[in-house]
Amino acid sequence: MVALRFLRALSLVRCSGPGARSPSYRARGIRRAAYACMAASAGPRRAWSRALLRKIRRRPGRGLRRPRAVIRRRRPVGGGDPLEVALRRLVPGGGCMEYCRLLEEAADYVKCLAMQVRLMQTIVDSASHVNSID
Amino acid sequence: MEPPRSSGVGIDNSGEYSPEIAETLRFEEEIQSLIHPSSFDGSAAPTGGGSFTALLGLPANQAVELLHDSGAREPLASRIRVGGHPVHRPFHLPLDCSSAFPSNATLVDRAARFSVFAAEGSPASSSGRLKAEPQDSDSPPLDPIPTGPAKRKDTGRSKCDVRLSLSFKSQAKATAKKSKNAEENTDGDKLPYVHVRARRGQATDNHSLAERARREKINVRMKLLQELVPGCSKITGTALVLDEIINHVQTLQRQVEFLSMRLAAVNPRIDFSSLDSYLSAECGPVTVRNGPGGVVVDPSLWPTDATAEATRRLLVPQFWHIDLVPPQLQPQQSLTTWERDGAAHSQLLPNPTTSLFLYDPANSGNANVPHLTAKLKTAEDRALNL
Repeated sequence: MVALRFLRALSLVRCSGPGARSPSYRARGIRRAAYACMAASAGPRRAWSRALLRKIRRRPGRGLRRPRAVIRRRRPVGGGDPLEVALRRLVPGGGCMEYCRLLEEAADYVKCLAMQVRLMQTIVDSASHVNSID
Repeated sequence: MEPPRSSGVGIDNSGEYSPEIAETLRFEEEIQSLIHPSSFDGSAAPTGGGSFTALLGLPANQAVELLHDSGAREPLASRIRVGGHPVHRPFHLPLDCSSAFPSNATLVDRAARFSVFAAEGSPASSSGRLKAEPQDSDSPPLDPIPTGPAKRKDTGRSKCDVRLSLSFKSQAKATAKKSKNAEENTDGDKLPYVHVRARRGQATDNHSLAERARREKINVRMKLLQELVPGCSKITGTALVLDEIINHVQTLQRQVEFLSMRLAAVNPRIDFSSLDSYLSAECGPVTVRNGPGGVVVDPSLWPTDATAEATRRLLVPQFWHIDLVPPQLQPQQSLTTWERDGAAHSQLLPNPTTSLFLYDPANSGNANVPHLTAKLKTAEDRALNL
């Protein structure tokens, strides 16, 4: 699933401006696409995927905040354990969860991240392999 | 957390508890009395109401003691304690109940009934035990017995309480840390639900229960994480494991960045548009099957089999197309040149794709297409079944 989405997104990124953009811009776009595909394929049931999509779709500069009924529970974390705080920062959407929920989401996030990395690695490998056949 | 002990609790409490519990208690006492025959004092006890003892089918002493104890303790279900723990009450009544039993048949009936009761006692009364037990066991073993009839009991207590208190203290861990270890010993293999059997000496009020359940949940999830992160299973200690997990997540994120940079740099030439259409045509049925599942596809299964194959094949689409087209094998070099020239393959593209689409419905018995589809489907199946 992720492979399809990602390849599709890659083609979109490529088609949008292969000549006009710098590689770094494209790299950022690819990164965004990678995270978006990861989150989209993980499904809306995961808190981290929702948070990630929200972060991606919210473009900087869009200051209009609609009064949505957003249930963003700011749990007073306590913040005693620096490891826990670090984990919360790493996992998208990790600021509002309880600890055991955080661990669960972290597990799923690690799984999906690992898969995404493998996918990208495979693409890069095969691409460079193809290019080096001759 | 002691239940309030009234010193002068007498036989007034006879009417306070239900006869069934009393009879169960009596049965329990008899079992325990079998276990600890030596610790009994033979001191006589004041006789209770004759009819009552006859009802219980017990000797008068034991009945009176039961009355006192059950009246003194608030949670009556605490007495239902099946298992290896000896009841920490002195049994100073002789086993040979010589008093006349008005109805032996009823006694036998009750015994039979309560044997079943006692056998079921552990699962059935576990929830009762949760509340009841700690109030018993938290209190130091020497306190609980009321002092009214305590004079009688003190003498007996001195002997058995020594032994019982020893075994008691070895198990009664009142501190939170010890209770955590203890509960991890016993409850580690239980299901992660609220029905946690409280160990002796542990608090079982609602807060502690909830905390214990929460700790269990956290431990389960930590174990999951440990399995996911490579190299974490050997590490002991929560802090180190967490550290390792955080490192791993950071590594993965850095890898994503790095690979995206590489992708941006390496592949401005590969055209994915044809891939797109091919992919959507190909994997339409696969995605449909995934839809109603609602299951997050386990990503770890995918890349190993299908994705690597798929991307490799799809990045070299000309192989596909060539294979699908009537079997003429073209040399690889032309294909690579096709791959390399970004501009040139636009001419080739419409042909392969159209032939491809023609082929798909028509010729399903082809080698590659069903192969990849099958691969994807099997991977999908495996992921869904997980």
